[in-house]
Amino acid sequence: MDVTALLRERVWSASIPLEISLHTADCASYDAVPYLVHAPRLSYLAFLLPKLHAFFYTSLIYPDVSPTDAWLEYDHVPLKWHYPLGLLYDLYSGAEPASSHDISAEHVQVPSSEDEETPPWKLTLHFSNYPKDQLVQLDAQEKHIHDLFINNVKEADFLRNGTGKTVMSLSKEDSEQLWEGVKQRDYRRFTRVNNKFLNPQGATLRHVPMRLYLPHAASPQAGNRFSSSIHVQEDGKGEKGVMPGSVRVVQGLVPLSSSSRQRQTVGMALHTLLPNLFRNTRGPCLIAAPVLHGAILPLDAGLEELIRTTAYVDGWLHIAFVML
Amino acid sequence: MKPVASPPHLSAAEFHTACTTLVNSFNALQDAPSKAKWLDISLDPGENMLRIAKELSVTTTSHQEPNSHDGPEIEDDDDDERLHSTANNTPLIHYDVLLSSSYTVPVLYFYISDALHRYPPTMDTLYMHIIAPEYVDQTKDVGVLGGITITDHPIFNRPVFFIHPCRTAEVIQASLGGRDISSFEYLLMWIGAMGKSVALDVQVDLVLNAREMLQGPDETIEPFAKV
Repeated sequence: MDVTALLRERVWSASIPLEISLHTADCASYDAVPYLVHAPRLSYLAFLLPKLHAFFYTSLIYPDVSPTDAWLEYDHVPLKWHYPLGLLYDLYSGAEPASSHDISAEHVQVPSSEDEETPPWKLTLHFSNYPKDQLVQLDAQEKHIHDLFINNVKEADFLRNGTGKTVMSLSKEDSEQLWEGVKQRDYRRFTRVNNKFLNPQGATLRHVPMRLYLPHAASPQAGNRFSSSIHVQEDGKGEKGVMPGSVRVVQGLVPLSSSSRQRQTVGMALHTLLPNLFRNTRGPCLIAAPVLHGAILPLDAGLEELIRTTAYVDGWLHIAFVML
Repeated sequence: MKPVASPPHLSAAEFHTACTTLVNSFNALQDAPSKAKWLDISLDPGENMLRIAKELSVTTTSHQEPNSHDGPEIEDDDDDERLHSTANNTPLIHYDVLLSSSYTVPVLYFYISDALHRYPPTMDTLYMHIIAPEYVDQTKDVGVLGGITITDHPIFNRPVFFIHPCRTAEVIQASLGGRDISSFEYLLMWIGAMGKSVALDVQVDLVLNAREMLQGPDETIEPFAKV
């Protein structure tokens, strides 16, 4: 197996230990045991919520609540179930990201799964007070998550190829295979379709599907204006209506190949998208570091290699920033 | 005004120019009734985001004339609309237009703000309070969830409605039919194509106003009505 395929598979199988407890306000018993699971980094909480409803069903104060009322929270942050779990973890868990300085050169730098000793990420499950202003509500047929996924896949395709043709011309069977591959965690089914995106016929890859997630602290200008026009509840959501855990999402056109045919790196992309934080293409930012799959991204990493090995299932590099 | 360089795509600078023209001609409107159609329009220069706000029209669910307010207000308590369409309790619908960096066409995000939180961003709200009944079928008939779905606002990162831009270029291309147009005309055409089903439209006075400002009154201009 070549290195690309090997890394791709290791990223696919990476998981995060979760310990999920039912919030006291929704729990009828004092000794409900938490739900423990190793959830894949590349998967979505949306797929976990119905299972959590089934597991906690007997402990619920109101057993007739719908599975679609379920939402997860960590440290007062309602977790977006349409973000990949790995991104949520990198953004909010506070876990120290791995760095290439930590490990000796012969080790593969993408963690295959979290270490045995990695403590579980403790999340709280709610079935009441759905934060409708902050989270899209899940539906029983999983149409919303499917829709958001497909839209991301389309946009990634458009960026890589300059047209959305690969996705648009996908057979119905292929698009079902892709979605089922993601849902059922079937690597073979997923990869067969995904490879068509990564190797479009008669085209070279043009732009990098890349989104940067900056904590509010790193982007002081965002977040205040929405609250001036939308009415925000005053119940402990912080100053000026800024929600806990709110992030600024940044994306833009990042070319994969420049006219000089120079290899495009993470540092170049960050300098393009965040010129105020990354003032040149090589020097690190002093206040925040880019994290992908639990590891600090080296600025000299090549973008094309990253897309082929470490992209999330929707084709995007979702990069969290942690404050240093 | 120069024609759009590479239609059906729009550059950030062209988008900015078009939005500025729209904002200026709105502000120059003398006629109060046509101005009242939009409460506010502004361009956020930092984000290059056009923001339009207007009162949420609740007439789709009521057959009453908007002017029948005089007379004693002894009503059944099912008359929610009447009750809340007064003073500052009126829910507002906000339209935020941004240029998609991926698709290089404008994208429409919209949401309702309401002091009483009656209109959360859900598909029920969309089909019961925003989309006019005659557009419901054609809107529902696209994609997984329909042509309009819910996503996080690109700036505020909260759930709002949006129209996915993957087909916008095609629509604009078809409407253009090979013509050269200015970025302002492009924006009007885009609002005409995208806004209709979600109650966003441009008042005629504003368009006429803009034309005078841009081209002077003497030039003959193609009517926009076809858009």
